Parts: sequence; C-alpha cells; structure tokens
Amino acid sequence: MFWHVFVYRLKCLVRDRELVFWTLIFSILLGTLFYVAFGHLTAESARFQPIKVAVVNNEAYNQDPALQAVLKELSSAGANQMLDLLVVDDKEAEELLEEGAVSGIITAGELPRLTVKEPGIYQSILKMILDEYIQTTKTITNIVSRNPQVSGELFENLQSQNGYRRDYTEQISFSDAMPDMVLGYFYALLAMACMYSGFCGLRNAFDIQADLSDKGARRSVAPTHKMVVVLADSAAALAISFSEVLILLGYLAFVLGVNFGNQVGYVLLTCLAGSVAGVSFGTFIGTSVRGSEGVKTGLLIGSTMAMSFLAGLMWIDMKHVVALKAPWLVYINPATLVADAFYSLYIFDTHRRFFINIGMLCVISAVFCGLSFVRLRREKYASI
Amino acid sequence: MQVFKAYFKVMRGAVATLSINLCVFLALAVLFSFIAPQVQPVGFEPSRIPVAIINRDKEGEVSQGLAEYMEKVCKVIECPDDPEKLQDALFHGQVKYVAIIPPGFSDAFLSGEDCVIQKVIVPGSAEGYYVDIIINRFLDTLDLYRMYGGVGEEDSLPRLIASAMEDLAVETPVTIIGETVISEEYRPGYYYYFLYCAYALLALITMGVSTIMISFNEPDLYMRNSCSPLSKRRMNRQLAAGHTTFALGCWAVLMIGSLVMHGRNLSETGVLGLYSLNTLAFTFVCAAIGLVIGAFVRSTSAQSGVVNVVALGLCFLGGVFVPQSIMSESVLAVSKFLPSYWFVKANDAIAVLRNSNPEHLHSIHNSILIQVGFAIAIFSVALFFSKEREA
Repeated sequence: MFWHVFVYRLKCLVRDRELVFWTLIFSILLGTLFYVAFGHLTAESARFQPIKVAVVNNEAYNQDPALQAVLKELSSAGANQMLDLLVVDDKEAEELLEEGAVSGIITAGELPRLTVKEPGIYQSILKMILDEYIQTTKTITNIVSRNPQVSGELFENLQSQNGYRRDYTEQISFSDAMPDMVLGYFYALLAMACMYSGFCGLRNAFDIQADLSDKGARRSVAPTHKMVVVLADSAAALAISFSEVLILLGYLAFVLGVNFGNQVGYVLLTCLAGSVAGVSFGTFIGTSVRGSEGVKTGLLIGSTMAMSFLAGLMWIDMKHVVALKAPWLVYINPATLVADAFYSLYIFDTHRRFFINIGMLCVISAVFCGLSFVRLRREKYASI
Repeated sequence: MQVFKAYFKVMRGAVATLSINLCVFLALAVLFSFIAPQVQPVGFEPSRIPVAIINRDKEGEVSQGLAEYMEKVCKVIECPDDPEKLQDALFHGQVKYVAIIPPGFSDAFLSGEDCVIQKVIVPGSAEGYYVDIIINRFLDTLDLYRMYGGVGEEDSLPRLIASAMEDLAVETPVTIIGETVISEEYRPGYYYYFLYCAYALLALITMGVSTIMISFNEPDLYMRNSCSPLSKRRMNRQLAAGHTTFALGCWAVLMIGSLVMHGRNLSETGVLGLYSLNTLAFTFVCAAIGLVIGAFVRSTSAQSGVVNVVALGLCFLGGVFVPQSIMSESVLAVSKFLPSYWFVKANDAIAVLRNSNPEHLHSIHNSILIQVGFAIAIFSVALFFSKEREA
C-alpha cells in the first residue's frame, strides 16, 4: 500500500503546475538573472591591471632623472609591473584623463603633482607611488644632514639593484579557495530552493486533513493506516523536492559554472538535508497553523523569504552581519544553515562547521516533524 | 460609475498581496537609507582599505609602530586571531587584507635578519597591492633610519620610528579636474529609495491592474458585461479611470514615503521634481505592463508567477538591484530595450546632477521621454490583444 500511495502522491505533486513553477522554475529563473546581472564579477575579473597613467613631457620631467628612473622601473614589463606609462604633452594628457583612458596625470616639478578625475583605488596607488618618491627624498636628506659620513654608503646602496626597496610581505592562505562574494548569492538561492520544498509539505498537509480539503476528507475515511499515508506522502514530497534541488544544482554548476568545490558527496548531503528541512517546515505550517489556505501559503512564502533574506539572498552581507550581531539566529535559520554548509564546503579545509550546520538542520527537521506528528495523530472531527 | 465602483471592490480582494509588497519595499527602503553613506568628502581622499591586523608580536616596538601607521592610512577592523573568523570576514568583504605580524618580528627586523609580514588577500587584487605598498613603505623607511640614521646614543628606536612617521606624513598634492563625480559609495539615501521604487511600482501596479483585468476578462463575466446596457466605450472609460486612479494612488503613496524619510535632504538638493517625474513615467509603464499581463493570463495562480518574473527580470536586467556600472557590456546592450534601464539611467543622472547643467537635464528628460514611449508601445500591444479577443 505504501508504494501505491507513494506513486499516486508523486503524480499529484508533479502535475501541480503552480507548485513546480515556484519550487523549480522560479529558482532557475532567479539563478539566471543573478548570473546575467553579476555572474561576470568573479575574483578573477577584479584582478589588478597595470595602472594607465599619463606623464606630462615638460622640462621639469626631462631634468628629473630620479623620477624618470622610478617610473621606468614601475612600468617595466613583468609580473611586478604596476604602471602603464604614456609620456605626452599636457593637453593630450588632459584629454586622455577626460576620456577615462588614464587614471591620472603626473606632472613633474619641485614636488611631483597628481591630477585625477575622481577618487578611487588606482588613483590612491598612484598617489602612494609619488608619496614614496618624495618621502624617500626627505628621508635621505634627513639622514645625510644627521650623519654626513654615511652618505657614500647610502647612495651606493640606493643605486644598487633593488636598492632600499624590499618586499616584506609574504602571501599565505588559510585554504585553496578563492574568496568570491558572488558565490554567496548562488548558495543563498539554493537555500531558498530548499526552503521552497515547504510548498510540497504544505500541499501534503492540505490533502491529509479532513477539515482542510475534500481530498483530505476522502483520504481520512480510507482504510489505509494514516501513518502509512503520512510516510508515503512525505517520501513523495521529499523525492520531488530533492530532485528539483538537484536539477537546480546541476543547472548552477554545469550551465552557469558556479563553483561548489569538489566534495560532491557532501554537496548532495547538504541538498538532501535542506530538502528535508524544507518539507518538514511546510508540513509544520500546514498542520500547526490555523487559518485558510491563503493564510498558510502567505505565511510560508513570507517566512521563507525572511529566512532567505537573512541568509543573504537579497544582500549578501546580511548573512555576515547576522553572524556578527546575532550568532544564535544563524543556528535556528534553516536557510542560513544550508547556505553556510555550501560556503564551509567551499572555503574551509576542515568539516567541523559543515557538520555543525548539517546537525542543526537535522535537529530543526526533527522538531518540525515531531510537532506535525503531535498535531496529526488521532485527529477526530465532530463536524467538517 | 458602476464599473469604477466595482473596480475598487475587486481591488479590495488583492489588498493583502499588495500590502505585503509595499511592506517589503518600505522595510528595504528603511534598511538601505540607514546603510547609505552620508556625505562624500570634499577633495581627494585616498582609499582607506579595511584591514585586519593580527599582531602576534605585541611587545615589539616596530610592530606597534607599523600597526599605528596602518591605523592612520587604512580602516583597521578589529578581528579575533581565529582563521575561521578571518576567512569569513575576507569572503564577505568586511576586510580586504589580513596582515599577520609574526612573534619576534621586531627583533628580527632590528637585527637585519629576514623577516616577513604574512598576508591573506584575494590574490592579485588592487587592494592587496595598495596595502603592500603601505607596509613596505613604513618598513623600508624605518630600515634606512636603522642602517644609516641610528648612530649614537640619542637615536633610540622610538626616535627612529618618530622620524619615519614624520617623513611618511609628507604627501603629494592631488588636483581633481572636471565636475565633481559622486562615486557610487557616496550616493545619498534617497537615491536608493527612488531606485527601489521601480520594484515597488512594478510589483504593486502590475499586480493590481492585472487582478482587475483577469476578473473583468473572466468569460462569463465578460459575456454578461457585453450584453449590459452600458456601452463598451463607457465601460472602458471607467476601467481606464480606475487604472489611472489606482496607479497614481500607488505613486502618491511612494512619493509621500520619500518625503517622510528624506524630505529634508530632497528639499535641500531640489531634485524632488525630477525624481517625481521619472517615477511618474515609470508608473505609466507599469500600468501598461499590468494591462498586457491581464490580457494574457487567465488564472490568479499563474498571475503571481508572471508578475514576479516580470518584476524581478526587469529590475535585475535594468540595473535596479545591481548597478549598471558593474553590468557587462553585452547585458547592457540588451537592457537598453527595457524601460527599467531608462528609469535607472535617469535615476543615476539625477543623483549626480549639479547646478542644473542643461546637458545633463536634457539627457534626463530624454530618458523620461523614452519611458513614456515604452508605456505607449506596451499599451498599444495590450489594446491589440484585447481587440483580438473581441474578434
């Protein structure tokens, strides 16, 4: 009997076009919109490019070999190239700046000057390079005036290869993963899709309770044991939801190229745990909240959207802000737990945080199932 | 006036959905007006990169000096020395650079041994290069003083650090040419309010107008109305009056909201008129889209799906949720065929408008007129389909 109920429930859910739209098509459309709008903004696309800068070819510049040498060194091709230099007259320099072809204009003089159109990181780097030039001049003047006897050795050192410029920094990484904020949106989208599995749970709750639908009344008088019906319904809802989440995952990973790391088994486990949480949440709303179908559907949509918002679907920083300001909320919001499980798989080498997320998802699902069970068991109706 | 009255009776049924949309918008508007940075600094201000400094050489004077210098030129964010928390902060962009000063750094530096500051960054990022220069700048200068300026008793370490700090305070003069450009990070709160108005107007008006049209297009009701003594022309006139009243009502509510939240700033900058005009033009576009949805869609369940897809689609592709400046060229080329693109373009131009520059005003008016053109075109499509249905 279990398989009979399961198969027919499966057919009922698949044929509900509205349900399939919200649980699958809507997520795919939203994912596509995300991709179209900011999919190209990867960490790779924000990579530093040598800064295009115009230098005014005036008399002061031609008589300043030190500045020429610094700019030449910084613009020589190679891995450390910082500048892409254009030596032009002042009129042309201004035209280039106005067109946005260069980030700034360097004009030599007693103190080199920088002209820009707007503030920004590239303009700040240009300023820092010129600052370095004038600050080093000041340092050398100070040292020579204090200890004239070291001037010979000092100048020799400055003129030697690399001179006084050293790189004191060494890049390390906590993991191999590249921080990429855009990924957070796709993880939150998958979390939303998992929570939308609640629609399947809600549909089940309507179709099993005699006071909510005609179908529920008919099924309540059937000789099949209610436990078998509930289990078969839930299994069918879970099968549909999990398949839909997998289709979305496949679309994001293979069509849009979203990076979920390479731990496929754990990624699938997250999808499954998320679907279970979604279905049990929908069942909980359907059984425990009093009200019409519209009220319950509205409540499910509203709460799912609020959870997804806190998981970073509309504004990615939200998830981090919640983690900083109200960390307890992270552990009770299933959408954040799903999004964070994907995130921890991608970014961390260890699985501690991942299993905390999955564990909490299981606990939340168990609580929702338990509450729904209490509400559904031994239900009798005086009149319907 | 029967039709006009019936219009608002039907509308009452959709009040719950419309209120949810309005509340979501108002909540977002309040949130973003809090988040929006207030005033753009006058003149050139170098970027202040958010940096986490993990100083494991707390006693070292060089480390302390470096941390002190970085506090002056970067935005130092307090973070615990916990890789998980640091990675969270880096992934979410709360910090762009994590600088770890290892234990014994100062001693190694002073004795001339090889010593390094460990950094965790997004590889190859411009911010990474910038903070590298800042760190190297301080240590290179201090190293010059250590090697050549520290002869004699009086040159104690604090004095060398003070000399380095003094030298590093000298700055290059920077001039900004042309009109002041208001960078994206300094857009005022009301800019975001009017930007998100596009979503609110789309969700509210298309939902409301299409709800009415679906009810009036229901086959039985449609046939019953067709044989009523009220002429088709008069009925349509009353429906049009209903749509106009409803759309203008939504627009007025949002305008009042803008005055309540940002009234003072708006009156100071004098751009309320232009914003009102831009949102009004978009209001007509939304009403026309609502008519088309009402003509195509038969059931209320399909309606909410279509309204959501159209509203989110137009907002994402037009640049409401993601700034046009960071969208790719190919997407922007397609977006130009959407009314939301021109709404956002005008909205962006109004935010940076200064002294009513005629050239800028002209481009704003153009964008608004293009939206009116879209409204007329979409309205014609709706008319065409309703005529088809009659035939």
